[in-house]
Amino acid sequence: MSTSAKLRSALRSAVQGVRHGPFVHMVAVLTLAIALFALGLARSADGVIQSLLDALGGSVTVTIYLQDGTPEEEIAILVSTLEEQIGGATRVVTPRQALERLAMELPELSGLLDAFADNPLPASIELTMPEGKRDPEALQSLSKVLAEVPAVGDVDWGEELVTRLAAVAGGLRLGGLVAFIVVLVTTVTVVAATLQLAIYARREEIEIQKLVGATDRFVRVPFIIEGLLQGLLGGALALGLLLLFSHLAAPRVATLLGFLLAGAHDVELVPWRLGLELLAGGATLGLLGSMLAVRRFLRV
Amino acid sequence: MIELFHVSKAYPGDPPVLHDVNLRIDKGEFVFLTGPSGAGKSTLLKLIFCAEKATRGQILVGGRNIARVRESAIPYLRRNIGVVFQDFKLLPHRTVEDNVALTLDVLGVPRIEARERVYQMLKRVGLAHKRDVLPPRLSGGEQQRVVIARALVNDPTILLADEPTGNLDPARTLEIMDLLGDVHVRGTTVVVATHDISLLTRYQRRTIRLEGGRLVADEDGVTLARRLAIT
Repeated sequence: MSTSAKLRSALRSAVQGVRHGPFVHMVAVLTLAIALFALGLARSADGVIQSLLDALGGSVTVTIYLQDGTPEEEIAILVSTLEEQIGGATRVVTPRQALERLAMELPELSGLLDAFADNPLPASIELTMPEGKRDPEALQSLSKVLAEVPAVGDVDWGEELVTRLAAVAGGLRLGGLVAFIVVLVTTVTVVAATLQLAIYARREEIEIQKLVGATDRFVRVPFIIEGLLQGLLGGALALGLLLLFSHLAAPRVATLLGFLLAGAHDVELVPWRLGLELLAGGATLGLLGSMLAVRRFLRV
Repeated sequence: MIELFHVSKAYPGDPPVLHDVNLRIDKGEFVFLTGPSGAGKSTLLKLIFCAEKATRGQILVGGRNIARVRESAIPYLRRNIGVVFQDFKLLPHRTVEDNVALTLDVLGVPRIEARERVYQMLKRVGLAHKRDVLPPRLSGGEQQRVVIARALVNDPTILLADEPTGNLDPARTLEIMDLLGDVHVRGTTVVVATHDISLLTRYQRRTIRLEGGRLVADEDGVTLARRLAIT
């Protein structure tokens, strides 16, 4: 018997298995779908948290106050060095711009500011830190290096804000990871148990096949095909549920994130990669689950 | 064909089911295996088709020592042994044809050839007209004939039947025994486990008697019939 004929025979057997126990298979597919939907939600939530953190991190700015009378050429050299070595965006704020900004932000002080004959505010460079360089340690060491530069008077890196942000980010990431692991372990356990139930319902068939001389492979292959099909179906169903959920929930999430931080509202709840992950995850779970479950019933 | 040397079988914590059994069954023989319930008849058959492993001793089937055979080789050994179970072991949701074809599917016989062989086999057991019927719709005798068809469709050299008439009325019993006799005439070695003494006197075949897991008698059919007639 050729390999394709064997595969056809196994496929026929798998289809017969589904036909003769539609309820058990439906339960298995639904269990897979619900479990994968929960996993997908956990992944989506992780993505949202990540976007939120990126958006929050975008506000981490180092302000480098310059000495009075620092020549423009020296400022330009400093700016280009910062852009080259740190990689973040820079913005030079002149004393006049600083004063205007202060007057705009704190209008009640405008009378007081007018009392100064000269502008007391120094020129500064605002450096928006790139991703990966926003942790408190990196910022502190950068501020120390900058403080050594002769043209630099003072450096403010928002120590309090950055330290808090780092703590919040760490907590959210850890929480997200724990939630993901819990859902993953639950998924694998539930799926394996359900598939075992489906195969248990057909233990008699396995026993008879073995008694008439079937090899383990002959018995196993149709069950593995069934597991694969169930996994793919469960994955597709989970993806559908997730897309529906995303369609319904996206406007609320966008409003919430838009309110919290501008620019974060365009977060994608179900990226195409997650769709592929769900299908691949479903197929893998179905395959592994059925392989593990059928092994128990092969000893005849 | 089948040889047992000092074979014992025991389960942990229980007295031995079989104890030091020695016997030889030649190719083409028809043998009854008899004894009261719990004598070890079914266990002996299970040892021969590798559903159980002997605790001690050697078993040769067709010259192969099955005590030493690898687990992966057991399916190939079973393909030479047809087994008729007392509880039929038919798949209730598969048709008669599918149930019989299972033996050939396992061997990888192409579908068209398998259907033809199944049809011929069902004709032989008188069930060709019921090939599309599901087993629960058949009588006990008909189900047993399906099991015999499944056991014989790949022409095994040995046929083991465990109480094949245990659930049948006298008329169906004779029908099944005639079928087994026909199989034997065609050259298959047949071993029938039964506790029905009427079968032993009627068919007068070599009879091996087990009691409490020990082989207590091995007589030819005529001697047995005479002894039973006297007692």
